[in-house]
Amino acid sequence: MSQAEALRAIDATLAGEAVDPRFAELAELALLLRDERPEPPPSLVALDARVARRFAGGPAAPPRRRRRAWLWAPASGLATALAVAVVIVLAGTSPQRPPLSPHAASSAAGAAAGAAPGAPTGAARRQPAPTRPALAAATAGRLAPHAAASVPAFAPAGTPGVAAVPQPAPSGRKIIQGAQLALTTAPARIDQVSQEVFDVAGRFGAVVLSSQVTQGGPGGYAQFQLSVPSSALGQAMGALSSLPYARVASRTDTTQDVSDPYQAAVRALNDARALRTSLLKQLAAATTTAQIDSLTARIHDAEASIASDEATLRRLQRQVDFSQVTVTVNAGTIVPVTPSSRGSGGFTLGRAAHDAGRVLTVAAGVALIGAAALVPVGLLAALVWWVAAAVRRRRREQALDLA
Amino acid sequence: MNGARARSRGVIDTAPPASAEIPSSWERFERLYRSCRDDVYAYVATLLRDRAAAEDVTALAFERAYRRRWSFDRRRGEERAWLFGIARNAALDELRRRARHARLAVDPGDPEDAEPPADDGEVALRRTAVRAALGQLTGREREIVALKFHAGLSNAELARVLGVSESNAGTMLYRTMEKLRRACDVAG
Repeated sequence: MSQAEALRAIDATLAGEAVDPRFAELAELALLLRDERPEPPPSLVALDARVARRFAGGPAAPPRRRRRAWLWAPASGLATALAVAVVIVLAGTSPQRPPLSPHAASSAAGAAAGAAPGAPTGAARRQPAPTRPALAAATAGRLAPHAAASVPAFAPAGTPGVAAVPQPAPSGRKIIQGAQLALTTAPARIDQVSQEVFDVAGRFGAVVLSSQVTQGGPGGYAQFQLSVPSSALGQAMGALSSLPYARVASRTDTTQDVSDPYQAAVRALNDARALRTSLLKQLAAATTTAQIDSLTARIHDAEASIASDEATLRRLQRQVDFSQVTVTVNAGTIVPVTPSSRGSGGFTLGRAAHDAGRVLTVAAGVALIGAAALVPVGLLAALVWWVAAAVRRRRREQALDLA
Repeated sequence: MNGARARSRGVIDTAPPASAEIPSSWERFERLYRSCRDDVYAYVATLLRDRAAAEDVTALAFERAYRRRWSFDRRRGEERAWLFGIARNAALDELRRRARHARLAVDPGDPEDAEPPADDGEVALRRTAVRAALGQLTGREREIVALKFHAGLSNAELARVLGVSESNAGTMLYRTMEKLRRACDVAG
């Protein structure tokens, strides 16, 4: 009697069919086993009512054993940690970066982007570009601001609050103006933003007294000393504050009224000239050698005084005509401002479409980062689930073995 | 096998009038319930050897099946095998619960089982021998008997419920029958 034949005989017996006499004993055993089937008690009818109610409102199922929360604890912890990491990465780094990167540095001093008559040259160009703290101190000392206007950090570029440059009232007074502008851009755009600074300088007839652009490594840094015609300072600052891929981190505008020193120099010059004229007349009327020598010496002194006063006036006038602007560009995480956002803030379909594209791009990037973080979490969760299921299955089988 | 399925009787028919349309999930479930209720109970009662607990586990199994009726995938087997898989897990969970409470050793039996059938002497003798042989089976062997002879599953369904191949299920059934036959011979 083979196994297959025996199994067929069992099935035939249970189906009520006749079997070969060789399997009579097996068939009898199968029927006896079938007769041992426990019959459902009458109380099982109650289940019919529960089914009719679709298990609603009936006696509750035995309370499920509380799930083992510890099985999910590692996955939950890892997911939380990854979420925090993603948030930190997205939030970006602090704007307080080291001023210079040791990886690569290129300095260009005195790179004149635009030629302006009377623009300062010489020593200023030859001075090494100072580091940012030193520059800030030097700028503060040089300008000695009578009034300073600071823009809140990280004000969006191109906003009216930033573009509106505080200008002294046109009262005919001699006023030296200055500004410090700190920009933030993406590390990969340091070079591009630096070029845009050069372009703005050239557009408004400014002179780049010194520049320093550092790239490479985790961040980057650039610094510019500009001499901007005061008549174009407002426009230049507006343009610098609205660079496409940079954002204003801080901005300080300074003014210094030098009308009094200027007028004093003018008076001294006029006095010296009057003195020289008088001395020249006296020299024409002099008859003795002693008189001539004395007058000649005094005329020399007067001319020296005239030269000194004229130099003072030229220096003051140059400082009035050209404003010193310090621009620093730091690498950081920003929401880039697109080129289309330059100019007026009007709403156009093209700008809206561009903004929508940017939003979708950023959203896709965030989703990609999130997916990259969730993949290992998902794998770990799947592994935990698989192990838990295997353990549960094994314990069930063990319970059957013990039964 | 079909006769075993037909033995599921005494079920209150609460199904809506039959429709020519494709039955809804509820209608399918109710049809499954009506055809399998007694079989599930018989299987669980044989496995647990406790009729009171078998009632609860049967109800739990059907409730679980109802809650998870959306998870049924016909490509993975028939509904009947799917339902008995749920019932098996529920019964094994009950066995685990008993084991934790150290009550598994108590086999209360059933007065009905001990009731002598109205057979002639030789058949009664054979029936007693079969019961004695059943008592010697392991839990796994008793489960095979319950699925095959009390629930009326085919060998393919039995394999699906146990998670083994059909040939393996046939081998397990054959060995169990051989063990029972030897035990009956010894008892006889």
